Amino acid sequence: METGKEHEPVGRLYDIQGYSVQDGPGIRTTAFLKGCPLRCPWCHSPESQLGKKQLSFMSIRCLGVEVCGSRCIEACAKNAIELGKTRKNITDDTEIRMIHVKRDLCDDCGDCERQCFADALYLCGKDYTVSELLERLLKDKSYYETSGGGVTISGGEPLMQIDFVESVLKKLKENGIHTALDTTGYAKWEVLQRTMPYTDLYLYDLKHMDSEKHRKVVQVPNELILENAQELAAHGKKLQIRIPVIPLFNDDPENIRKTAEFCRKLGDAVTMVQLLPYHNFGVMKYLRISDGPAFEATPPSDEYMEKLKDMIGGYGLRATIH
Amino acid sequence: MYTFKPYTERVARLRDAVRDRLIVSDAEKARLQLQALKKYIKFPPMLQKPYISLYVLERMPLNIQEDEYFFGGLGNRGWGGAGGMGWLGVDIENTWPIREDGLHHAPEDDPFYSHQQLAISPEDLKELREIAKERMEMTGGFGAADWLPDGVQEFFRLQANPSGKIGGWPIYLPPGHLTPGYQNIIRQGYGAIRKLAQDWLDAHEGSIMGDDIGKYMFYKAATVACDGAITLTRRCAELARELAGKAEDSEKKAEYLSRAESLDWIATETPRTFWEVCQMVMMYNVFLKAENDPGVTSIGRFDQYTWPYLKADLDSGRITMDEAQEYVDGFFLKINTFYGGGFGKNAQTAGIGHLGQHTTIGGTDPETGEDAVNPVSFMVLESMARLDLHEPTISLRATKNTPKEMWDCAMAASTRVGGLPLLQNDEVIVPSLVRELGFSLEDARNFAFIGCQEITGSGNDYPAPNGSAMGHNGIYWAIALLMAINNGINPINGAQCPEKVRSGYLYEMESMDDVRAAFEKICTWMLTWSATLNNLTEHEYPRLFPFPNLSISTEGCMESGKDVSEGGAKYNSYGGTATGLATTADSLTALKYVVFDRKIATREEFLQAILDNWEGHEMLRQIVLNTVPHFGNDDPYADEEMTYVMDLYYKITRAFSTCRCTTYKCGTFGASDHVVQGEITWATPDGRRTGDPIADACSPAQGRDKNGPTSVLNSATKFEQGHLMDGMALNLKIHPTSLRGDDGMTKLENLTQAYFKNGGMEVQYNVVDAETLRKAQAHPENYHNLVVRIAGFSAYFVDMTAEMQNDIISRAEHRM
Repeated sequence: METGKEHEPVGRLYDIQGYSVQDGPGIRTTAFLKGCPLRCPWCHSPESQLGKKQLSFMSIRCLGVEVCGSRCIEACAKNAIELGKTRKNITDDTEIRMIHVKRDLCDDCGDCERQCFADALYLCGKDYTVSELLERLLKDKSYYETSGGGVTISGGEPLMQIDFVESVLKKLKENGIHTALDTTGYAKWEVLQRTMPYTDLYLYDLKHMDSEKHRKVVQVPNELILENAQELAAHGKKLQIRIPVIPLFNDDPENIRKTAEFCRKLGDAVTMVQLLPYHNFGVMKYLRISDGPAFEATPPSDEYMEKLKDMIGGYGLRATIH
Repeated sequence: MYTFKPYTERVARLRDAVRDRLIVSDAEKARLQLQALKKYIKFPPMLQKPYISLYVLERMPLNIQEDEYFFGGLGNRGWGGAGGMGWLGVDIENTWPIREDGLHHAPEDDPFYSHQQLAISPEDLKELREIAKERMEMTGGFGAADWLPDGVQEFFRLQANPSGKIGGWPIYLPPGHLTPGYQNIIRQGYGAIRKLAQDWLDAHEGSIMGDDIGKYMFYKAATVACDGAITLTRRCAELARELAGKAEDSEKKAEYLSRAESLDWIATETPRTFWEVCQMVMMYNVFLKAENDPGVTSIGRFDQYTWPYLKADLDSGRITMDEAQEYVDGFFLKINTFYGGGFGKNAQTAGIGHLGQHTTIGGTDPETGEDAVNPVSFMVLESMARLDLHEPTISLRATKNTPKEMWDCAMAASTRVGGLPLLQNDEVIVPSLVRELGFSLEDARNFAFIGCQEITGSGNDYPAPNGSAMGHNGIYWAIALLMAINNGINPINGAQCPEKVRSGYLYEMESMDDVRAAFEKICTWMLTWSATLNNLTEHEYPRLFPFPNLSISTEGCMESGKDVSEGGAKYNSYGGTATGLATTADSLTALKYVVFDRKIATREEFLQAILDNWEGHEMLRQIVLNTVPHFGNDDPYADEEMTYVMDLYYKITRAFSTCRCTTYKCGTFGASDHVVQGEITWATPDGRRTGDPIADACSPAQGRDKNGPTSVLNSATKFEQGHLMDGMALNLKIHPTSLRGDDGMTKLENLTQAYFKNGGMEVQYNVVDAETLRKAQAHPENYHNLVVRIAGFSAYFVDMTAEMQNDIISRAEHRM
């Protein structure tokens, strides 16, 4: 019934990725939800942090005002767009003048992006009803079936949109699809609990075992995260632990050992520990939504990652590097 | 993960020698052919052909190179050389410098020759030119340019099909594009086949009535053909004995003596061992090339017809698996040496460095219907992947029961040798062969691939998959659409279709129905002309290209006493191919979206933008590129146009027939023709600029598929792939980051399995290498589909900063 549809929860996503092969078992489609309570400086999807739609500017796509006639500048009633830097056109080496978004004046209204046919300016964040998202997710069902894959709900922090997430997960299970929830674990237990009946696997991030350091860097303490992990394990849920390995933050052997020790105590619940070495590809994404400066560090060496992997393996855990 | 085995030192030496070989052409074979032509000029064509090849085979210098495993070759001075006549289109005298060895060498600084080292002596070159001239004076060539039917010039003038482009009408030689009956040769031996023909002749001596006179000509020709094959094999035996006499190494001497004994045996009898069966196949391949040069004579189901012999050898302890692998390595290295250089448009279209000698592995057993993968199937892939061979093309016929280990092996091979093997789906192709071409189930199960992608029966089919006329018997679909909305005028040259197929300009069309009607009118007219010309040339086949050398192995011919060119094969059909279909479909989508549905631009504006090659209309072009849906994204709005174009192609061609057959096969492949065709295609409504490549085969237009591989495959199963009995090509680019991790490969297998379950017939994967990524850096427009994937993170490669792109490139170089 049409009226039923109107009452469906609506979720805000910033991306949907088909043939997602690194976020859980098999071939998956991953839905990335917007909004996150954490503020990890290294976050490689910074556009996921705020719940609101955000104006993004991808300079590499900008054709230059010479070509489009400064349509975005004219469209902006807030005077938030000005002429910016020049750059060389990749294909013919001509100089083109790009634009610059004055972030303090921009209210993400989107007037400019509707004028940018090159899609250099775009609003990051798109709203889906449960059925709309489900239709997209079900398209690849046959691939999930041959590969033992399914759907991963990721973020941001999906639990910030719990009504939507619960409803999507429930519908996926009704369709016989394997579900994974990629979470920071930072939510009230009552919230996380609601996903339990419909979630086959949690991709569960552990960033630091020292709550103070955790709080200092990602803006929230870790007690809730650790307790939730223990609760999920106690309820017999499966967890794939993910540790982003961030230089000078959590990559010291002591922290890795403590994390492994914590995982070991979770027992059979932990199916795998995934080490995600820091990479700096997120930097360009920062520059699309802000003027920076963006966090940057030297990615850990392959040798060091192997060392950490062995260290975790030493606790009887199955460890992988991604 | 599948791990490839090491290869022997002898194979390594041979591989290096083949890879680094200098292809020296000479006039030897052409001279012998001319002598023979003079001798037999007054013979009827059916007899002339086999007598000429017998003459050549009796005299052609033979050699076997150091470390080689098999006899029979085409070159007189080492490898290569058979391509002689094909080189004459090049101004070698003035552009190829003469080096210390006294030979003209293809210039090293010309990128065209970077993958082929070619050379020829000034004397041979001079002689070849004289031979070519004399031949032309004697035969008048095979062109039909002087006796073309009335009205065809109106079709040619448009330059909207390959013949129009080259401005003539050389009759094409489809005999090469098929799978010879290797298994029939192996099963019977030349002696028995010859006896069959001779028995008929003896029984009818002096008493031949009515149509039997045609049979007489054929059976007589068949005996001469067999004599040619027997002669070639026996001469190789002599060579082996001669080499044994000269050999100082006792092991080598023994090897040559054993080869001589085997060759003498298989000259008339059936093979007894794995080596003999491989040698016999090789010899028949060489024998066919001696007449039909440069034919695309595919190898067929190599694993199926050789395995019983290997199994017997293994059972009796005559051979080890390692030794057998060495023979397979040697076999495919030898196949590589048949390449004799490639030039001009043809090379640009078909690619260089290969002869398209497609080899088929796996698939269904004809009798039991079970999956037929066997140890030789693995050996073929081992040879390809370990030795880095790009010739021959390999197709794996997948069934629903293809063993996991074979999938693993195929995927591992695919990442080592870009895009090989092609993955083909028996579950779609076998029933389609029965339904569309009337094959028996058993014969359908025994199909094989040839050339690029073409589907044929094994040794029972005369498939003429590219038609009988130059250039794949096709039309240029994107140009047809341009003419449809431009009152029949091709914008690139101003040529206009005849009045009866003009429908006015876009701004005179009220709806998409009008656009479609105009498009259908032009396509039907052009395709029908193309089919008519094919019929015309087919009619001349028995006169110009009888092929008894092939007919002796083709089921149906020996039984009926009719040559393949006369329709003697058990199955007869012909076909054509199309490329750039997604460019055409996306153009229809753009017209629908921009002009009729959303009314973003008026009909006048939109047509003008196209005719202006988008210059001054960049904003409109950006809308077409970024807002209009495109084929390959699992978006029904765009995909339905692709289905429409595919259905139209099939629908129009149902009415076609030739004097030999009544079945026309649609196909979508064509090697690199999308680049060549793109060069002469004006800007298209999908935002493509004049001269840019059009989409390849039925793949999405370059970089327009932005939703990943599952969406491409979903889009591609919306049209009926089983209609494409001439074969199809769907190319998928896979970014190396997608394959990381222990199970990256397995996921690619699972992807294919789901696609096949959904009705997919073919797919080939190209794991994008560093070189391609550099191209993507320079031409981002065409590479929007490359997604970089790292856990929880994904980005389009072209959207990354140069530094990050460089980082990804350097990782690709180290096979991340």
